[in-house]
Amino acid sequence: MLRIALAAFALIAAAPVHAQEAYPSRTITMIVPFPPGGVADLTGRPIAAAMEKVLKQPIAPVNRSGAGGKVGYAAAANSKADGYTILIALSSVSIFPEVDAIFNLKPAYTLDQLVPIALISADPTILVVHPSLPVKSAKDFIALAKKQPNEIAFSSSGLYGTLHVAMEMVVQSAGIKLRHVPFAGGGPAIAALLGGHVMALSSGPAAAVAHLRSGKLRALAAWGDKRLAAMPELPTWKELGYKDVEFYIWAGLLAPKDTPDGAIKALRSAARTAVGDAEFKRVMAKLETPINYLDAPEFKKFWDRDAERLVRTVRRIGKIEAAK
Amino acid sequence: MVETFQNLLLGFSIALSPSILVYAFAGCIIGTLVGMMPGLGPLAGISLLLPATFGLNPIIAIVLLSGVYYGAMYGGSTTSILVRIPGEAASVMTCIDGYEMTKNGRAGPALAIAAIGSFIAGTVGVIGLMLLAPTLAEFALRFGPPEYTALLMMGLFILAYMSSGSTIKTLASAGLGLLLGMIGIDVMSGYTRFSFDVVELGDGVGIVPVAVGLFGISEILLTAGQAAAVKVQRPRLRDLIPSREEFRLSVGPIARGSLLGFMIGIIPGSAHIISSFVSYGMERRLAKDPERFGKGAIEGVAGPESANNAAASGAFVPMMALGIPTSPVTAVMIAAIMVHGISPGPLLISQQPELFWGFVASMYVGNVVLLILNLPMVGLFVNLLRIPYSYLYPCILAFCILGTYSVANSMLDVWMMLIMGGIGYILRKFHYDLAPIALGLVLAPMLELSLRQSLAMSAGDYGIFLERPIATTMFALGLLLFLLAIKPLIFKRGKDWRKDVGLEGEQG
Repeated sequence: MLRIALAAFALIAAAPVHAQEAYPSRTITMIVPFPPGGVADLTGRPIAAAMEKVLKQPIAPVNRSGAGGKVGYAAAANSKADGYTILIALSSVSIFPEVDAIFNLKPAYTLDQLVPIALISADPTILVVHPSLPVKSAKDFIALAKKQPNEIAFSSSGLYGTLHVAMEMVVQSAGIKLRHVPFAGGGPAIAALLGGHVMALSSGPAAAVAHLRSGKLRALAAWGDKRLAAMPELPTWKELGYKDVEFYIWAGLLAPKDTPDGAIKALRSAARTAVGDAEFKRVMAKLETPINYLDAPEFKKFWDRDAERLVRTVRRIGKIEAAK
Repeated sequence: MVETFQNLLLGFSIALSPSILVYAFAGCIIGTLVGMMPGLGPLAGISLLLPATFGLNPIIAIVLLSGVYYGAMYGGSTTSILVRIPGEAASVMTCIDGYEMTKNGRAGPALAIAAIGSFIAGTVGVIGLMLLAPTLAEFALRFGPPEYTALLMMGLFILAYMSSGSTIKTLASAGLGLLLGMIGIDVMSGYTRFSFDVVELGDGVGIVPVAVGLFGISEILLTAGQAAAVKVQRPRLRDLIPSREEFRLSVGPIARGSLLGFMIGIIPGSAHIISSFVSYGMERRLAKDPERFGKGAIEGVAGPESANNAAASGAFVPMMALGIPTSPVTAVMIAAIMVHGISPGPLLISQQPELFWGFVASMYVGNVVLLILNLPMVGLFVNLLRIPYSYLYPCILAFCILGTYSVANSMLDVWMMLIMGGIGYILRKFHYDLAPIALGLVLAPMLELSLRQSLAMSAGDYGIFLERPIATTMFALGLLLFLLAIKPLIFKRGKDWRKDVGLEGEQG
């Protein structure tokens, strides 16, 4: 009896100690669902470095690339929700569950398996065309596409990839028809545009800016809500009257659902401090990626709206055979 | 010309400054080690190292990473030659004749020729990069999907020549490779093929685990199954140096491999592997006595090894002159300079002359470093063969698993490698050629993608292949090769022309 009482006492005594164990007490793994050098990696590593300073524990980025990011997203969504696994996700995280649904596949993960921590950056894509295409503005572009349906070819980073979905929003909103030529990644997509094998591409501004300066490509419009600070002369699709065309390449921190509140709180506050970190700002400025910080509640709203747009577009693309 | 010379001097003044020279050395050494690790190739090497370069200055970063890149291309040949395990995918072809040379006690010459060939090819590549980068880059851009399709078709025709045995068995192997290449998400329709709900298989089957398994693991299994213990080799010093005859035979393959590799390297796409396949096929066609191939022909080492190193330099052309990442490796390198606020693009060479010329000069330096690093080590490496197989092979198996896992942190790749090892073992027992499986696996997804991209560009019109001069020329060449290849099958009764040139006829 005494022994049981003692054991119970020991348990009671031990429990608070366990609960009080400060988070984080060991290394946090950050899953990067893309190979080194991609947007997710280039945003993830500096933010991890800045958050380490706040949390006083190392954050180790681990690249789990594959299937356009799906492997890493699924790994994060299905990992142990103890606060020691976080994810740096891009906009494409919202697309995969919908694509799985289109093909009647068992979804690798669902969006409600992930909860937001903070949005780090959000950059709208821009429409770039080959200079040989006889258009000077977005209006010309749409007019030409209407006059020659299914003649203008555009490249993308891959079928149902973010750059494809962005272009498809315009296609659906303006009621035009374009030829889609998917490539394996953003690099080959822009190379094909430079070579004149395709005529248009919805590209991240950072990847296109050098080619715009040298005159090898021409920019016509931007996908943002507001005009880009770096390219104020570019009109947005919204200004041009395509109200439902809005798209961002965003990068945000997510955690598996059921991650303890204490951990989420600590991560949120670490992220808030980290985006103000001088070193982090310096790195992001060099990458020409504007920091666009939102804390979890606002990020959640942003993400929901963004996912809604993407899912609607992907649904309308549907299966490719059906579109023809 | 004078300007180029001045620029190069500027480059050398940067590349030879002690702080940068140290990193060039470090890069070459790390690269050689990475290349030697089975499964770990240049991409894995520079990916793992990339984060470490964020704190360095951009010139050092790119010198270090490029050192790792071509160091790994050098190092990949070592394990291929010594133990038949491709250190990286582009060394698959080196396995065939390189390992046979080892069995004949000529490991030293094979390693030496691989190093010398790599050095010459690397240097030719840098000269090409230096003099022709802007011109060639424009040319490279003209390679769109139709041109790539034509190039890959030529690759397939060359496959027909690669067999050393039965044509039927070669075709069966190639068919298996092509089928393996079908696994994964169909890039044009989004359907997932043969993945059995394994998310990782969405990307298809990687060449690295398959190559390491087919060639390496199967060799380990075969050795274990032999009744008599394998005799441990005891190379003597004079066996380390290539004979005059071996040098003479290697000159042509090295020269052709260098040019061919560089040209294929500048074309967007993952061209290393193709360049070594094409070089091997070409050397075999040109050789006076092709039946030596597959039995330890030095040309089979010299050609592909030169080609894949020249291709490594060639890949820098579009990267430096246009700022376009045309392969995963150059994508990582571009990221390495972007982190430092340098936007890669057509203006890079004029705006960042220190970076470009420092980089070019460091490649000259790096190639010399690798040569002096590798030639003396030939003796050391060959002596690894003195280790009894019962110790050596378990270690190699462990390294294979470690290397394959670390490429993508994926257990699936490890299983894939082990299963492929089993399959390779069985196929070799039945005397099937394994190289066509690897080539088929590499070519299938690339060919499918570029063919369907071409058709997407033309809205389904096959005429696109006839409207474009580069593509049309290559198709015509490919067709010619193909007709020559099937001629003996059709005219069986007649004299087999391949007997004249020494290629095998119907051996069945």
